[in-house]
Amino acid sequence: MKITTALDSTSLTRRYPKTAVATTLFFLLALPFLLYLLLLVTLPFNQPQTLNALAKRVGWDLGGSPIRDTWYAVILVVEASIVALYTAVFAGVTTWVERRVAGRMQSRIGPNRPGTLGFMSWVADAVKMLFKEDLIPAQADHLLFRAAPYFSMVGLTLPFVVLPFGESVIAADLNVGVFYVTATSAFVVVGILVSGWASNSKWSLFGAVRGAAQVISYEIPAGIAIMVPVMMAGTLSMQGIIRAQGGWPWQWFICQNPAAFVAFFIAVTASLAEGNRTPFDLPEAESELVAGYHAEYSGFRIALFLMVEWANMWIMGALAVTLFLGGWQIPGVSVEMIQQARGNDVLPSLLWFGWQFLSLVVFAAKTWVLVLLFIWLRWTLPRVRVDQMMSLCWKFLVPGAFACLIFTLFWVMAPPSVHRVSGIAICVLGLWLLVKFVMQTRKNIADVRGARVDLSNW
Amino acid sequence: MTETIRQYVGDIRDVVTTFWQGLSVTLSHMFRRPITIQYPDRTDKRVADMLPARYRGLLEVDLAVCTGCLACARACPIDVIKISVDKDPANPKQRVITQFDIDESKCMFCGLCVEPCPTGAIAHTREFEATMRAVDNLVFRWIPDPAKPVPFYRPVKGQDAPRAPVGSRIRPLLDGLVWAAPAADWGAPDDEGHKHKG
Amino acid sequence: MAENPPIERQILRRMSASDEEIVINFGPQHPSTHGVIDFVTQTNGEIIRRSVPDIGYLHRGLEKIGETVSYPGYMPFTDRIDYLAAMFTNEGYAMAVERLLRVDVPPRAKYLRAIASELCRISSHWVAVGSMASDIGASTPLTHALREREAVNDLLEELCGARLTFNYARIGGVSFDAPAGWGEKVLRYLDHLDSYIQEWDRLISLNKIYIKRLANIAVISREKAIAYGLCGPNLRGSGVSWDTRRDWPYGAYPDFAFAVPVGQGQMGAPGDCWDRYAVRVLEMLESSKIIRQALAKLPEGDIMAKVKSRPKPDPGEVMARVESARGEMCYYVVSDGSEKAYRMRVRTGSFMAMGIIEEMSRGSMIADLIALIASFDIVAPEIDR
Repeated sequence: MKITTALDSTSLTRRYPKTAVATTLFFLLALPFLLYLLLLVTLPFNQPQTLNALAKRVGWDLGGSPIRDTWYAVILVVEASIVALYTAVFAGVTTWVERRVAGRMQSRIGPNRPGTLGFMSWVADAVKMLFKEDLIPAQADHLLFRAAPYFSMVGLTLPFVVLPFGESVIAADLNVGVFYVTATSAFVVVGILVSGWASNSKWSLFGAVRGAAQVISYEIPAGIAIMVPVMMAGTLSMQGIIRAQGGWPWQWFICQNPAAFVAFFIAVTASLAEGNRTPFDLPEAESELVAGYHAEYSGFRIALFLMVEWANMWIMGALAVTLFLGGWQIPGVSVEMIQQARGNDVLPSLLWFGWQFLSLVVFAAKTWVLVLLFIWLRWTLPRVRVDQMMSLCWKFLVPGAFACLIFTLFWVMAPPSVHRVSGIAICVLGLWLLVKFVMQTRKNIADVRGARVDLSNW
Repeated sequence: MTETIRQYVGDIRDVVTTFWQGLSVTLSHMFRRPITIQYPDRTDKRVADMLPARYRGLLEVDLAVCTGCLACARACPIDVIKISVDKDPANPKQRVITQFDIDESKCMFCGLCVEPCPTGAIAHTREFEATMRAVDNLVFRWIPDPAKPVPFYRPVKGQDAPRAPVGSRIRPLLDGLVWAAPAADWGAPDDEGHKHKG
Repeated sequence: MAENPPIERQILRRMSASDEEIVINFGPQHPSTHGVIDFVTQTNGEIIRRSVPDIGYLHRGLEKIGETVSYPGYMPFTDRIDYLAAMFTNEGYAMAVERLLRVDVPPRAKYLRAIASELCRISSHWVAVGSMASDIGASTPLTHALREREAVNDLLEELCGARLTFNYARIGGVSFDAPAGWGEKVLRYLDHLDSYIQEWDRLISLNKIYIKRLANIAVISREKAIAYGLCGPNLRGSGVSWDTRRDWPYGAYPDFAFAVPVGQGQMGAPGDCWDRYAVRVLEMLESSKIIRQALAKLPEGDIMAKVKSRPKPDPGEVMARVESARGEMCYYVVSDGSEKAYRMRVRTGSFMAMGIIEEMSRGSMIADLIALIASFDIVAPEIDR
């Protein structure tokens, strides 16, 4: 029988396929990069002199102070908005990637109807959440309930200020960058605690207290493991750590020091725990606490909490990439080359902009690989129990991180040739592990009767 | 002490090896075909045609071969089949069926009515899509007009009853369903609590 | 209303006054309670003092319905007692009434019942192990288990026309014969299953986190398991080698050779949650063996004995047992000579598992309670009927 409803049964995507593809490609490729580009273009004009020089070049005398300062303030606000907007867009796009990747890992298709390949599903979800009823439990603490997501948002957006997207594409290169990231990202736990308490629900309280214990405990091994590349670079500044590495894999810190290899895994594990991702998603354990600390939230408020969780993955990935995987360093291009390309003029040259864009692409690609790894881990591993989570932290990660730290203390005193040898050795080891893993994956498919590689059914 | 050290190292080793295995399994599944069947619009055939022949879908009656034995109505444990028989006013020797209603909203598709039927008049089809806004409209009235009753079929010895292909009788009925049709007034429920009469 | 205060208040009254303890309801709407059951839990932080199951939310009066519907008409209702393992419920009921009527089932029907039942056991165990993994936090194994189960559902759909509520057995035999080519399809699935289980084990059974969550949790000793009346995989997980198919054989099972997997404490103490889980995975492989033997030896003949359409058994009472996926399922039917039963009583494995939960939950953590409930593979409709 034909079910007749008010709307036509053929979707917009089916009727206008070209527009659908164009819209999807735009959102997928253009929007994040438009944001990046805007950031890139506006960042050199962080300094008032540069702004002045550009204005003179265009033939525009900015004249007196107030006009110039106003323009300067506008540029700063634009840059801040871009950074904040980027977190939202990234969170949305990551939900789409996660749902599609998770789908295929689970022998199903993820969302594939809204937009081409389901790309508009995150836009649809965001709009849907805006329209939902704003429910606040009657016995809840209204002020705290409403304020809690914003605490988490603060913890999410502040670290973006020091994330080194490219060689000069960084909002503020603080000389205590790493320390700043660790400190401000811990703000998220305030939001978790406040939301759990303010919800006036025992389940939410369980989730919140678990979350607090988890994040506070895992700050220790995270901090110690992060000290390893800091010692190797000799600076806390994010750009400084990256500049101490090189573009090729054997020049990354993860390869230059066997203790850094171990510290990478400790740092990644601790980051997963800080970000409440499986196997450490106890605060929001779906099968036990049914969404834990954000159980009573609905509509836009829960959208903010979820946005914090997903965009936090970018921070986790970006931190690991900066510290261990060479950041934005382009293989074969040294930092001096980029600085030379800048030229002596007040305004940088076009080649310099080109290098910046390339370094931006490198950084984004590496961070996306790590984000995909986090997604992969989430959909493979079960959840640990609370006491097991604590024992893992205190009995395994903290001693391991300390051991790496002590090892690095002596390692940095070794001559650079030792570092180079270690770089090549660990790089070869990594490559061998990768090849073995791919072979094991192929064997998985071959071992099961009736299974084969089949990339159809999207 | 050695026991604890061995256990400690063993734990780390087990974690690494089992994670390696698990991650490789999930990665391998990314390259296998998902089993999702994208119903209803991205399938090769209609889903109803992909189902096995014995699928117990909506019931269909071919009144041309119905003998009026009432075995199906008696076999149904929840009395969703309502059959009324009468003598044909024109021909007292002939008996007719004046009402054959099946309440598909209550049917549990168990198949107990299909088994005792001597001619195969009542059978499960492979159709399963019949949603109606008003649940009462899901009563399928196989004799829509009591003024036009259907005579009993007399089975011929040694010959199979000429039943129409299964699924052919229900198609016009399903195509004629309008989802938003208002609920017909069925009147008060009968003794068994069913609202079959129109 | 003072006669029956709600269960939370009963627990609160028996609690020693302590400000740090809270009483929370695990359910009745909860993703991990495998149905609509409420566990009233008194906890001190994460440690549970006691957890009392509050059942009855899914009571549908199925035993009363047995008194108002004729004997053949009750068969579809038995599907709804345990909808994940409906072949067993059908077969148990059919066996009970056949004993009342003193009717012999033809051998082909017995074999077909055994094949269908073992396929249903595989299907039910896939749900059990998949949802157990999902409760422990791994979502991917659930979808993989359901994918494997879909293949079994397809096979049973070809056999009898339904995927969940089969209504396959009849009093006196079975309703449909195996269609042409069905045996080969079953064998192809079994070949796939036998090779797939080792991938399943590598994905989740041997995962270190999974083992750490399940090993040494809720250890039930042999004596305690027998004392509390556990049955099925729950009993065998504690080391008691008891299987109704082997020890009180019925149907075609005397003709088959199969092992009975028993929990041996492979990852921890014998009788822990991992053992109960492992018993289910191994039982799937044993079912595969039984189906192969049955298909190889399938006798020709009728699939139904001669039984009246509305039988009236002589007055009497009978008890029939089957080894269902969730344990021993007993049908106690009392006939008063009419065409409707006088009393229809069903004893199910999940109901027996409810008794031990309060004792096992003392001193465990919330996550362990989840693991315990999941390891019992309870299905709420079976508890409440």
